[in-house]
Amino acid sequence: MSRDLEPYTIPHSATVRQAMEKIEANKHRVVVVVDEEDRVVGTVSDGDLRRAFLHDVMPISPVSRIMQLNPHVTRDTDPAAQAKLLRSEHVTVLPVVTEDNRLIDVALAYEPGFEA
Amino acid sequence: MRHVAVVAEGRMTYGYSRPVMRALERDPEMRYSLVVTNQHLLPTFGYSIEEIERDGLNVTDRIYNTLDGYTPATMSKSLGVFLISFTDTLVRLAPDIVLVVGDRGEHLMAAIAAAHMNIPVAHIQAGERSGNIDGLTRHAIARFAHIHFASGPDAAERLRRSGEEEFRIFLTGAPQLDELVNGQAVSREELERLFGISSGDPLLLVLQHPVTEEFGDGVAQMRETLEAVCELAYPTILIFPNNDAGSEDLRLMIEQYHRPFMRVERNLSREVYAGLMRAASALVGNSSSGLIEAPAFDLPAVNIGNRQRDRARGSNVIDVPYDRQAIVDAVRTAVTPEFRERIRAAGDSPYLGDGHVSERIVDILRTIPIDERLIRKQIAY
Repeated sequence: MSRDLEPYTIPHSATVRQAMEKIEANKHRVVVVVDEEDRVVGTVSDGDLRRAFLHDVMPISPVSRIMQLNPHVTRDTDPAAQAKLLRSEHVTVLPVVTEDNRLIDVALAYEPGFEA
Repeated sequence: MRHVAVVAEGRMTYGYSRPVMRALERDPEMRYSLVVTNQHLLPTFGYSIEEIERDGLNVTDRIYNTLDGYTPATMSKSLGVFLISFTDTLVRLAPDIVLVVGDRGEHLMAAIAAAHMNIPVAHIQAGERSGNIDGLTRHAIARFAHIHFASGPDAAERLRRSGEEEFRIFLTGAPQLDELVNGQAVSREELERLFGISSGDPLLLVLQHPVTEEFGDGVAQMRETLEAVCELAYPTILIFPNNDAGSEDLRLMIEQYHRPFMRVERNLSREVYAGLMRAASALVGNSSSGLIEAPAFDLPAVNIGNRQRDRARGSNVIDVPYDRQAIVDAVRTAVTPEFRERIRAAGDSPYLGDGHVSERIVDILRTIPIDERLIRKQIAY
């Protein structure tokens, strides 16, 4: 059940401002950072952006500077298992990855259309 | 009341000077000012100024000096910025003594500024050998320093032989071991909460810095280490390197190799790092902590490549080249109970630490006469 991942991902080379724009558009408070080969290298949340602002990080800074380096990810493709993880880890976006950490899907706490 | 100006530029040297600052705080005849610079002020390196603030130390100055790029040229130019800024800081603070640490460029700049302004310089971790530009820096600091604190007899002897006068050399031991010896490390339970590690599997702690004189080779060197880590597939905590030339590529490399059994950290507090050294099965990479601090926990260190080439070491260190198979083999040996037992039995670390090193250093800072003899240095080859 793969969805279009574009609204939920930004490249590693993106800026802090681009992360903000992506989160503003996707309404899920989180965006997943991927490298050139779609490997998950981090996530950026509203909270990360707030902390970055408090540390005087500029909007043109690379997003890699502020991202979470150890996001919760899962290899489980079962929606019920994913839903359980979303609740237990208190995350809104859970990257679903292969064994070598490539992004194949995202599980969402709130399905698209839900206004958080 | 004697006033000591202390310089902190990164997590490693901060670990050397923090226990000394604590001892200065306890001494009613002493006060200190802490000048914070370089890595401590950079978000990329975990903005560790926040750890210093949490520690409640007396930060009087923040000197932003680091040019982006992390090349040999930006490294050199950043030091120039620090030299200019620190000179103004010394004019304003007018300390009685400047305390510098280890082998990093900012400390050399601080020593140069102070010596020119006739302010005596005291140097912690003086006289050791280290590879890299750091080794040159440490011995350049010795020429500008008026008081040398050596962590072992070998370092003290090297200072004598390089022409430093006997009355300036003090064999104090390594102050960064004070906190370790006195048990300032987070508990296993706290580590489990922070990192989700569980007992059972061997835990690897990986810290590999770029080697400045091998600029350009860092990516290939790091790849060997990360391939070895992937093959071993033990739970692993990788710490970002310092910001020496070439570090940006190493950070990208770590992100690429990030697998679910690894955690990547920008920066760890001293207590957490100490806790991890106590909990880990082996330290892998080229950090000096594998040689100096790991023996305090009988922790095996797989030391890769040339960065620590010249530094004294005990039985806990296994030296390997930049080669994934050699690293895998060495780690498999290092994590065995037999190897750990051999370290315990040998007890041969060249770095002295009895938990009271900082107090000895502060005693000397309080009592050494600050007079013409101290200020006017002769290099007596």
